[in-house]
Amino acid sequence: MKETPQEKKIYQDFRPGKLTKEGFLGSDTRHVHEIIEEDKRTLSQLGIEPETIADRMQYFIEEGKKGLESNVDLGDFTVRVNWFRGMLPCPFGEPNLHHKITAVVRNKALNQEITFTQLGVHLIGSHCFFMGHGNRFRLEPDDLVKFLKIN
Amino acid sequence: MLYKIIIATVSMASISAILSILLVIAERYLANYGECNVTINDDEEFRTQGGATLLSTLNSQKIFLPSACGGRGTCGYCKCKVLEGVGPILPTEEPLLTAEEMKENIRLSCQIKIKQDIKIEIPEELFNINEFRTNVAMIRDLTHDIKLVRFSLIEPNEINFKAGQYVQLQTNPYADVKESVSRAYSMSSPNFEKSHVDLMIRLVPDGICTTWVHEYLQEGDDVRIIGPMGDFYIRESDSEMILVAGGSGMAPMVSLLEDIAHRKIDRKITYFFGALTRKDLFYLDEMAEFEKKIPGFTFVPALSEPEPEDEWDGETGLITKPLEEYLQKIDAIKCQGYLCGSPGMINASINVMKKYQMKMDQIFYDPFG
Amino acid sequence: MENLSPWVIFFASIFTGNILLVYFLGMCSFLSVSKQVKTSLGLGLAVTFVLTVTSALNYIVFFYVLEPLGLEYLRFIAFIIIIASAVQLLEMVIERFSEVLYINLGIFLPLITVNCAILGVSLFMVIRQYNFIQSVMFGAGSGLGWLLAILAMAGIRQRMNEKKIPPALRGPGIVLIITGIMAMAFIGFSGIVQIQ
Repeated sequence: MKETPQEKKIYQDFRPGKLTKEGFLGSDTRHVHEIIEEDKRTLSQLGIEPETIADRMQYFIEEGKKGLESNVDLGDFTVRVNWFRGMLPCPFGEPNLHHKITAVVRNKALNQEITFTQLGVHLIGSHCFFMGHGNRFRLEPDDLVKFLKIN
Repeated sequence: MLYKIIIATVSMASISAILSILLVIAERYLANYGECNVTINDDEEFRTQGGATLLSTLNSQKIFLPSACGGRGTCGYCKCKVLEGVGPILPTEEPLLTAEEMKENIRLSCQIKIKQDIKIEIPEELFNINEFRTNVAMIRDLTHDIKLVRFSLIEPNEINFKAGQYVQLQTNPYADVKESVSRAYSMSSPNFEKSHVDLMIRLVPDGICTTWVHEYLQEGDDVRIIGPMGDFYIRESDSEMILVAGGSGMAPMVSLLEDIAHRKIDRKITYFFGALTRKDLFYLDEMAEFEKKIPGFTFVPALSEPEPEDEWDGETGLITKPLEEYLQKIDAIKCQGYLCGSPGMINASINVMKKYQMKMDQIFYDPFG
Repeated sequence: MENLSPWVIFFASIFTGNILLVYFLGMCSFLSVSKQVKTSLGLGLAVTFVLTVTSALNYIVFFYVLEPLGLEYLRFIAFIIIIASAVQLLEMVIERFSEVLYINLGIFLPLITVNCAILGVSLFMVIRQYNFIQSVMFGAGSGLGWLLAILAMAGIRQRMNEKKIPPALRGPGIVLIITGIMAMAFIGFSGIVQIQ
C-alpha cells in the first residue's frame, strides 16, 4: 500500500521496541489500515460502534482504579487494575499521552479473563484498532462484545 | 524517429537536472542553520551547529536535562526556560505545558530546534547531573515481579545525590528492540555510599526497559546511567513524616531512611506500605532494622487480599485505610507527606491527606506521570 | 483569449470559475484540512503560492521549450516534475520559517503535489492559450479561489461542531453536501464573465 514518508514514520511506531516491547502488530503482516478495515466490517455486522466498546472498557478501568491494584468485585465481573508510572503516546502520531494502565477483567459466568491497556482502549475507541493478530493484547471484536456483555 | 526520442529524453532530463540543482542549493541555504550561540543563565556560552533539538545539543555539551522518554515528547521532564531565540509553541509541546508555563516561556527542550542564537535558563542543580558508565554488580529478586539491581560506577566513579532522587537508565538494544530507551528509577542505595547505585525495578507488561532488566540484563553488563535528578528529597524540619509507598515505590523511602539513620535525625516517621498478599512483601528484615536504628520510626504494612496460608495478622484492606485511621488520631495538619509508587495509590493517599488538613505544599512525590 | 484582461481572469477564477466549487478540482485536501481555520489558511496560502509559481514556470517550459521542440505530448511529465519541485521547495521554506504550520499540515503539504487543481490549472492554461501574464493571474486567482472555498468551509465546519448531525452523514458526508450547496451559491456568479 502506498505511503508517504510521514505515514511510514508514523507506522514505524507500531513495530516492536518503539513504544512497547512487542509493538502493536503481533505476527500480522498486513498494513495497519487493512487490520482496521477488517475489524470495522466485523463491528458493522454486529451493529456496534467502537466507541461503545471503548466506553465499556473504560468503565472497567475506572472501577478497577478504586481497588489500588487489588481485585474489585463488580457482580458479574471482577477487575484488577495495575497503574505504572510513565506515559505512552498514541502510535498514530497524535499529540496526546496515555497512562500505563493494565486491566485484567474476569467474566464469572464464562470463567474467562481478558487483559487490556489504557492505550488499547484509546486505540479501539478513536481508531477502531484492535491490535494485529498474534499480539498479546489482541482482542477479537466479536469475542470482546460477547465477553463484556455489550448489546 | 531516433532524433525525436533523443530530444525528448534530453529535454526532460535537463528540466529535472536544473530543478534538482535548484533544490539542492535551496536546501543548503534553508536547512542549514549555521552556527548558533547558546547562552545559559547569562553566564555560560557555547557555539554549536544549528538544526538539532535543544535537549540533544545540551547533552552533547555534557549538560543533561531530565528526560524519561528519551526525547520523544511524552514525559514532560525536559522543560526549560527559554528567554529568546525560539519560535511559537509547537503542537507537540502543547499537551505537556500548562498555561502558566507557556506564559513564563517554559518550553519542551526535546521538541524545539536550535535555529538561531538562543538564551536559556537552567536551575543550578542540573549542572550536577552526569552521564555514568556503570557495570551491573548484582541482580536480586525482591518479589515475583520486582528486582533489585546494583550498578557499580566506573566513570565517573562517584555520585553525589540527595536521598530520594532518581536516575535515568539507558537500555541497551536487545531482541527486537533496536534502539536505546531511557527510563527513570529512584535510587534505593544510601547517598553516603557513592560508588554504586541501587534501583528497584518492577516488571511492566510489554515494557521495553523493564523486560530488558528482568529477562536480558546480566551481572557484568555495561550500562549507562544519567543522574541524579528530581525534587523528591527530605525537607528538613521537626514535623512528623508520613511515608506512603508500595511495590518498587519503596526504593526512595529506603534511601531516605538510610540517610535519616546515618545522620541520626530525630523525627517521628510512619511508613505505610500497601501490597496484595504476603508474597508481595519484601525488605521486612530491613524495615525491622530501621525500626531499631530510628527511635521514632514505625513500619505499617497492609495486605489488601491476604491468603489464608499467609497467616497475616497485620493491617488489612487498601493502604488508605490504616493511613486514614492514623491521620484521624494525630494532628495531621503539621505533618509532611512523602509518596512514591502507582499514580492511583498516590492520588488516593493525597485525597486522604487533604481530608485531614495536610497542606499541599507539605506533600512531596515524584510526578512520574 | 488574448483580449481578456488579466485582471478579469484573476477575479473570474476566484468567483465564476472557482477551481474547487465550479470545476470540483482539489477536493481531497479540502475535505480533510477544512476542520481548522488556521490550518486551512496556511494550506490555502501554500496552494496559492504553488499555483502562481507553477503557472509561471509551466508557461515558460511549455511555450519556450516543449512547443518549439514539438514535445507538447510531454507536458504532463514536465508539469508534474515542476509541481513536485515547487512543493519540495515550499516544504523546506515552511519547515524553516513556521514549524507550527509544518507540523499542523502534516502529510497534506507533500500531498499538494498530487492536488489535481494544480495540474488542472496548468493544463487549462495550455488549452485556453493564455499568455504569460494571463497565466500567472489565472494561477494566483485560482489559488485564492481555492483558499476562499477552504476558508469558508472551515468557518462553516467550526460552527457545525456543536450541531447534531445524523451519524451516517458525519465527516465527509455532511462536508460534501455543504460543498454542493456552496457550489450552487457560486453558480449565481456565472454569467458575469466567461473565461474559456
